[in-house]
Amino acid sequence: MNCDEINIWLDTLLEEINEIKVTRKSERRVRVDVDASSLPALLELLKGKASYVHLSAISCVDWPDDEEFELVYHCWSYEAKSLLSAHTRIPRNTCEEFAHYVSIYDIYKPAGFFERDIYEMYGIYFESSPFMEKFILTEWNGPPPMRKDFDAEAYVNETFNWAEYNPDWLQEITEEGGGIEIRPEDVRL
Amino acid sequence: MNKLENIPVQAKSDKKRTNPLARVFDELIQFCQSRSMFMLHYCTGCGAIELPPAMTSRFDMERLGIQPMVTPRQADILLVTGYVSVKTLKRVLLTYEQMQSPKYVIGICSCTVNGGMYWQSYATAKVLNEYMPVDVYIAGCMPRPEAVIAGLRRLMSNIENGKGDAWKDYYKRYDYYLGNQQHLFGDDWQTPVDVIGEAKFYGLEGEETYGEHTKILEQHQEPLEAQVMRVKL
Repeated sequence: MNCDEINIWLDTLLEEINEIKVTRKSERRVRVDVDASSLPALLELLKGKASYVHLSAISCVDWPDDEEFELVYHCWSYEAKSLLSAHTRIPRNTCEEFAHYVSIYDIYKPAGFFERDIYEMYGIYFESSPFMEKFILTEWNGPPPMRKDFDAEAYVNETFNWAEYNPDWLQEITEEGGGIEIRPEDVRL
Repeated sequence: MNKLENIPVQAKSDKKRTNPLARVFDELIQFCQSRSMFMLHYCTGCGAIELPPAMTSRFDMERLGIQPMVTPRQADILLVTGYVSVKTLKRVLLTYEQMQSPKYVIGICSCTVNGGMYWQSYATAKVLNEYMPVDVYIAGCMPRPEAVIAGLRRLMSNIENGKGDAWKDYYKRYDYYLGNQQHLFGDDWQTPVDVIGEAKFYGLEGEETYGEHTKILEQHQEPLEAQVMRVKL
């Protein structure tokens, strides 16, 4: 079976799913916009019937104005040699504190890793995902830091102190001919 | 030997120095110390890329008597090269406290001075000398090997002139450093090193060794126990 045949088959297959919008961007890139309820079914079909066996990443986009998170599942097919990105949108804040979605760990095993990362950075809880404990930010107790409404600069100014710009030892260095070349107040932005 | 009391520790004697040549020997010792330093580079960020040329044949740190060392317990200098994230800072502190005195810390790159290009990141600690005493800062993003060598020479001259005693500050003002650490890591922060005990051992405890933060530490501290060696078959 060659690539073209798989692509034709894929297009027919995708038409069977509800509320789906397929954009074929080029020969090797397909963008699929799908409703959140039918995304696991789509991935199941893609993996089982259309040779998209490799989930290379799950990425997350925060849309605070729309009150939505966008989840993008990037799937590779080695036979069709193409990348399919399945986009779906979930509500940003449901009745609980965190947004939640269903895990696809039973379809793609690597998803557990990505879901754990997204839970930490965006606070989207993936139901039935096996690893939901802290991952990289083990010292972090604040809100999920990659959300757009988290103001990192305000947090930094509140938490950390800044170095002095005219300490005594700098004057010693300046007398020896060193020191600051351009002072921060002279910098024009 | 499962209990700490059973391990023999010889405390510093209270004998006064009566030898008139003591100061001469001090200077000799300082000179020798400054000419033979072992360096542990904790490569946290991108600044570490300037160290291989500084160490190897092009700029040759070894002509100054500075060699890389693999373990903190046998090193004199701790080079922190680049940004220190809060998570890394814990490890840097554990490393620093394991080193034997006299120990020196060099902060390389702008990131250790004031956050550098990561100044608005939630994850990086900004000013390194709030958490541990720093002898020399080498600013730059990144400093060239010449600057690294210049900084090391400054440290050498500091040691020779008897000014390289920032490590004593950690014992004398432990409460200040511990307070900043607790601010980031939470009140239950403790390290396996008994810093107050070491301060007593070196005779360096002062008024600022104790304070409100060491009291918090005492509340949360689990007693330190010698590790039992087990062979698992």
